[in-house]
Amino acid sequence: MPSLKEVRNRIVSVGSTMQITSAMKMVSAAKLKRAQDAITQMRPYANKLKEILENVSATLDTSENAYARTGAVKNVLIVAFTSNRGLAGAFNNNIIKQTWQLIKADYANCNVTIVPVGKKVYDAFKRTEYVTEGGSIPVVNNELYDKLSFDNVSVIAEKVMTAFAGREYDKVVLVYNQFKNAAVQMTTTEQFLPIEQKEGDTTKAQSGDYIFEPSKEFIVNDLIPRSLKTQFYKAILDSFASEHGARMTAMHKATDNAKSMQRDLKISYNKARQAAITKEILEIVGGAEALNG
Amino acid sequence: MKIEIITPDKKLFEGQVKSAVFPGSEGSFGVMNNHAPMIATLTAGKVELIEENNTKQDFTIKGGVVEINQNKVIVLAE
Repeated sequence: MPSLKEVRNRIVSVGSTMQITSAMKMVSAAKLKRAQDAITQMRPYANKLKEILENVSATLDTSENAYARTGAVKNVLIVAFTSNRGLAGAFNNNIIKQTWQLIKADYANCNVTIVPVGKKVYDAFKRTEYVTEGGSIPVVNNELYDKLSFDNVSVIAEKVMTAFAGREYDKVVLVYNQFKNAAVQMTTTEQFLPIEQKEGDTTKAQSGDYIFEPSKEFIVNDLIPRSLKTQFYKAILDSFASEHGARMTAMHKATDNAKSMQRDLKISYNKARQAAITKEILEIVGGAEALNG
Repeated sequence: MKIEIITPDKKLFEGQVKSAVFPGSEGSFGVMNNHAPMIATLTAGKVELIEENNTKQDFTIKGGVVEINQNKVIVLAE
């Protein structure tokens, strides 16, 4: 049985760990709220943009577009989104695992390049041949998450799109955690480029007799990059919200574990104390007996 | 007519207006009540609104697209 002092020290240390984890949980909960708001704010924009795009492109052949080029896939670009900080459960590991899976299985015969967004995925891949410093798409600076706005994100999206249009890559996929709710994140692999053509959904789109200014073609060519940037932004917002959700859940569990550990320690502390008291009484009684005897 | 100005980050404006002027890709144009349905792209410039009580308001945008349908105007701005 450990000594009284040892147990007391452990109780104190578990207690302070618990304070830290519960504080982190609170912080994540507040940040999650903000990240969730950001997603809700951008959803009407994304939906409307999609609606207009479908409406306009329904009668047009968009396969001529530079972003719709399909063909043999040789050079693949993977954009992987993680957080800058750890302590978020399996959040970052899922992304890293998924990315490896893509490299080893799906794109085993292709040249793969990774654009890491977030420090964790950068650390995981910086020593491999997949991350090239000084390529046409620079390694994303990790301060992106501190000032998350559409403008900052679209700079990266534009670079990816230019590289695709310039035939540097034949396929671009995004790997990120999709936000379901605070407790559930889904690791998602999404094709970013080339644009997947949707077919057959033309019935709804013919609703209005619109005037198009300047022309349908011009509008489509203007809207496609815009909607791609929106898709990219959505991925990063999803990942950001998921990060805080995952951290909140992880910290909640850590706090719970610390609590039950503290309870166990308290019991063994009380037992040790009681044992010491009993021992002392026995000694006194024994001593008194000896004197009387 | 009802107008909404939405950006990816937030909703800038929502409400009833008398008229609106947009920086269209082929020159600026105004929209008043009962305008025909239209979709137009916008370039960098100012969206100027005149509200019901004649107060003016303007928003600077970097580009976007506007949809006008049955007295409902939706501006997707950047």
